[in-house]
Amino acid sequence: MDVVTLLWLYILSLVRWLLREAPGLVLDLLKGLPGWLWDFVWFNFKPLLQIIVMPGLAFILLFAMIAVWFERKFLARAMLRIGPFYCGKRSGWLQVIADFLKLFFKEFVIPEDAERMLFLASPILLPTIPALAITLIPFDRNWVLFDAGGLSLPVFLVIAGLAPIIPIFAGWAANNKYTIIGSFRTAYLYISGEIPLVVCAAASALLAGSLDLVDIVEAQRPLWFAVPQIVGFLVFFVGLILEAERTPFDVPTAETELVMGWRTEFSGILFGFTMMAEYVSFLGWTLLFITLYLGGYMGPSLFGVPLYDHVLWMLLKLTVIVVVIVLIRTVYPRLRLDQTLRLGWNYLMPLALLNLFITIALKLWGLMP
Amino acid sequence: MPARSEGEFIDALRRGHPELIEGAEVLRAKRVSVVAKREGVLELARALRDEYGFTHPVSAGAVDYVKEGRMQMIYYLMNPDSRFMLMLRVDLPRDDPRMLSMTQIWEAMSFHEREAWEMFGIDFEGHPNLMHLLLPPDWRGGYPLRKDFKGEGISP
Amino acid sequence: MREAEVKPEVMRISWGPQHPMSGQTRILIDVDGEVVRRIIADIGFTHRGIEKILERRTFLQGIVPIERMVMVDTANVALAYVQAVEEALGIEVPERAKWIRSLICEMGRINSHLYAFGLQVECTGYFPAVFLWTTVDREVLLDLFEKLTGARWSYSFFIPGGVRADLPEGFRDEIREAVRYLRRRFQDYWDAMVENPLFEIRNRGVGVLSREDAIRLGATGPVLRGSGVDMDVRRDEPYAAYGDLDFKVVTEREGDCFARLKVRYHEIGQSLNMMEQIADEIPGGPVRMKVPLFPRSKRDVEALSRVETSRGELGVHIFTDGGLKPYRVRINSPTLRNMYVFERLAELDRVLVADLPVVLYSIDPWYLDCDR
Repeated sequence: MDVVTLLWLYILSLVRWLLREAPGLVLDLLKGLPGWLWDFVWFNFKPLLQIIVMPGLAFILLFAMIAVWFERKFLARAMLRIGPFYCGKRSGWLQVIADFLKLFFKEFVIPEDAERMLFLASPILLPTIPALAITLIPFDRNWVLFDAGGLSLPVFLVIAGLAPIIPIFAGWAANNKYTIIGSFRTAYLYISGEIPLVVCAAASALLAGSLDLVDIVEAQRPLWFAVPQIVGFLVFFVGLILEAERTPFDVPTAETELVMGWRTEFSGILFGFTMMAEYVSFLGWTLLFITLYLGGYMGPSLFGVPLYDHVLWMLLKLTVIVVVIVLIRTVYPRLRLDQTLRLGWNYLMPLALLNLFITIALKLWGLMP
Repeated sequence: MPARSEGEFIDALRRGHPELIEGAEVLRAKRVSVVAKREGVLELARALRDEYGFTHPVSAGAVDYVKEGRMQMIYYLMNPDSRFMLMLRVDLPRDDPRMLSMTQIWEAMSFHEREAWEMFGIDFEGHPNLMHLLLPPDWRGGYPLRKDFKGEGISP
Repeated sequence: MREAEVKPEVMRISWGPQHPMSGQTRILIDVDGEVVRRIIADIGFTHRGIEKILERRTFLQGIVPIERMVMVDTANVALAYVQAVEEALGIEVPERAKWIRSLICEMGRINSHLYAFGLQVECTGYFPAVFLWTTVDREVLLDLFEKLTGARWSYSFFIPGGVRADLPEGFRDEIREAVRYLRRRFQDYWDAMVENPLFEIRNRGVGVLSREDAIRLGATGPVLRGSGVDMDVRRDEPYAAYGDLDFKVVTEREGDCFARLKVRYHEIGQSLNMMEQIADEIPGGPVRMKVPLFPRSKRDVEALSRVETSRGELGVHIFTDGGLKPYRVRINSPTLRNMYVFERLAELDRVLVADLPVVLYSIDPWYLDCDR
C-alpha cells in the first residue's frame, strides 16, 4: 500500500470515528449550558436536532441554496455561458448568499390596493406548508420528526394539498391582473396534477399494506416499488415536476406571458420567500417520490452506523433526481395551460388508475407479498 | 382579368374608368402610377381591388408640396399575381386636406392613414378609429411632417 | 392612444412596455379567461421621426440615421436608402460593388433571422439554450463584418456609387469557413428545437394566418411566405446581384407560427448558399464610382427603392426638389405592416394568453423599424 492510500484510509477512519462520536461530543459541549436549558436540551435532544439540522431548517435551507447554485451553473453550461463567476471564485458559490443578502435588505413594496395582511402572510406561509410536509418523511426507522401514528402518507398528502391555496390567496391579495391570472392557473394546475399523484400514492400504500411511510419503505426491502409499479413511477415523476411548477409546467409563473405570474408584485425578501417555497415544495415531493418508489432511505451500508447510511442514501437519491429534473429544464419549452391540463387529465390520470389496477391484480394473485 | 403588361393595364384602366383618373403612367417595369380624382377615389379603389387584382396593400404616405399648395396622398398597392406595384395618388388641397378613408377597401391601410392623419393633418372620412399612432396621445405640436412645421409646442 | 371601451366580460391587460417580453411597445389585450379576444397594438414608443430627420440631411448624411432604423439588419435598410438615392441622382454602380452589397445583405439577413429565431424560442419558455446559442453563433458573422467594414453594427458601408472598400485579403476563404461552421450549427438547431415535440406543439397551429388573409391584411416577409404566398422582392424585382444569384424563395403552406419559424430557418440556409456562391463567383473590377460628396439632385425626381429585408419588404421613396437634401423620404416599413396583421390575429384565430408572445415574436417585430 502506498502512502496516499494509507492517508485516505486514515482520513476515512477519522471521519467514521467523528461521525460515531459526534452526538457525544455535542452533548459534552451542551453540558456547559445553564441547568434548565441543559435539561430542556437533554430531554428534547432528538427532536431539536431533527428540527434544526436534518429534515429541518438547515437541511431545507442548504438544499435550496445548493439547488439554486447547481441550477445556475448547470443552465449556464447549457447556454454556453459560465454563470456566476466573481462571487466565490470560479464556482460562484457565494453568489447565492449574496443574492439572499440583497433580497433581505431590499425594500419591499406593498401595492396600495393590496390586501395587506394576506399579502404579507402568504409569502411566509408559502415555504412553511411544504416544509411541514417534509417533517413526515422518514430518514430512518427511528428518525421521523413527526410521527403521525401510522398515517403519515395521508397526512403528507393533506398538508401538501394545502399548499396551492396560498398562491391563490397571494395572487388575489396583490390585486393585479397578472397575479390573478397566475393564481387561477395555479389552481387548475394543482388539481390536474395532484389527483394522479394521490392515486399513485394509494397504489404504493396498497402494495405495502400500510399507510405509514416507514412501513412502505420497509416493504421495499426485497424490491423497490419502482419495478412492479413502473407506470406509477413515471406518472409520479411527471406529476412531481408539475406540482413543483418546474419548467415544462411552470405555467403559473410563465415569465414570457405573465411577467412573474402570481408572484409579480412580491419584491425584496417576500420574493425571496416565494422562490424558496418553490424549492421547498420541490424537495418535499421529491422526498416522497424517493420514499414511495426508490426504496426510501435504504441502501448498502457505508459507515456501519445505520442512521448515517440511511441519511446518506436519501441524499444520494435526492441528488440524482434533482439533477435529472434540472436537466429537463434545459431541454424543454414550457407547455401551455390547456396542454398541461390535457396531459394531467387525459394521460396521467388514466395511467395512474391503470397503475392502481395493476397493483390490485398483483396483490390479488399474490405476486407481491 | 389580370393584365399581362404594364401598358395593357394602363390602357384598360383608361378605357374602363376614364372619369375617375387624372393621369396614369408606367414608371418602369412593374411599377405603375395612377393619379385619382379626389371625389371618385373610393370607386377607383374598389375597381382596382376587384377588377385589377390589387388586393395586397403595402403602405400609404403623403407628401406636402407647400409651394404648390397641395398635398399628395400616395397609396402603395401590390397585385400578388402579376407583382405590379401601383402608386395610387390623390391630390388634396393644402387648406382642406380631406378625403375618404381607404380602410373600407383595404383594411390594412388603417395604420398608415392614422400616421398620415397625425403627421400631415389629412382627415380621413370614414376611418374607424382615427387616433394617434406614433405620436403621444396628448400631442399638441402640430403636424410634424408638413414642410412648414417649425417644432413649436414640442416640450424639450 | 385613447383607450377603446372595454366590454364587461373581458379584462383589459396592458401588456408592456414594462414587461419581460413585450419590447418597446405596449399591447393592450382583452382577455376572457385565457383567451385573448382582442389585441390593440399601441406602437410609437420609439418614434424618432427618421423621415423628418432625413429631410434635413444631405443625401450622404442620411445613411447614418436610416441605419438606426433596424440595428440588427442595418445592411438591408441602408441598401434601400442608397439605392433610392442612386436612382434619384442617376448614379451607376459597378458590378463588383453590387455583389459585395448582396454579400453583406445576406450576412445581415442571417444575423437578423438568428435573432428572431432565438427570440421565438425564448418566448415559448425554452429560455436557456437556443437564444444564447444564436447570440454566440452570431459572433462569427459580426467578426466578418468587422473585418470587412470596420464595425460590428451599423457599418455605413454602402454609399451612393458603390461600397466603401473592397474585400480584404483572404476574405473569401473566411466566408467559406464561416458558412461551414454555421451549417453545422444549424443542424444542431434543427435537432434541438424544430424536432423537439414540446416545442412543436407550442407553435404548430398557433396564430394561423390563411393565404387570403395574409394578402388582404398586407403581411410581408416571412409572415407572408409562411402563409404560402410566393412573394420576394429579391426575385420579383432583382436588385444588387440577386439577378445573378441562385436562390429559392422559401414558402410554407400552414401559416402558423411554426411555418414562419421554418421559413426563417430555410431562408438562413438559402442565404448561406448565396454567401458561398458570392465567394466563388464574385466578378472583379472597381467597387466604387466617383460621386461628389454633396450631390445636387434634379428637380422633381422621385425614386422608390424596394428591398427585401429580413422582416419583409422595405420601401424607401425619395422625392427631390433640386437641392442638396431630399425633399421628402417616405419609408414603408415591414414591421408596421406585420403589426397590423398581429392586431387582427386574435379575431382570425384563437389566441391564448400563453400564445401571445409566440405569435408576437413569430412576426419578428422590430419596434424601431415600426415606429421609425
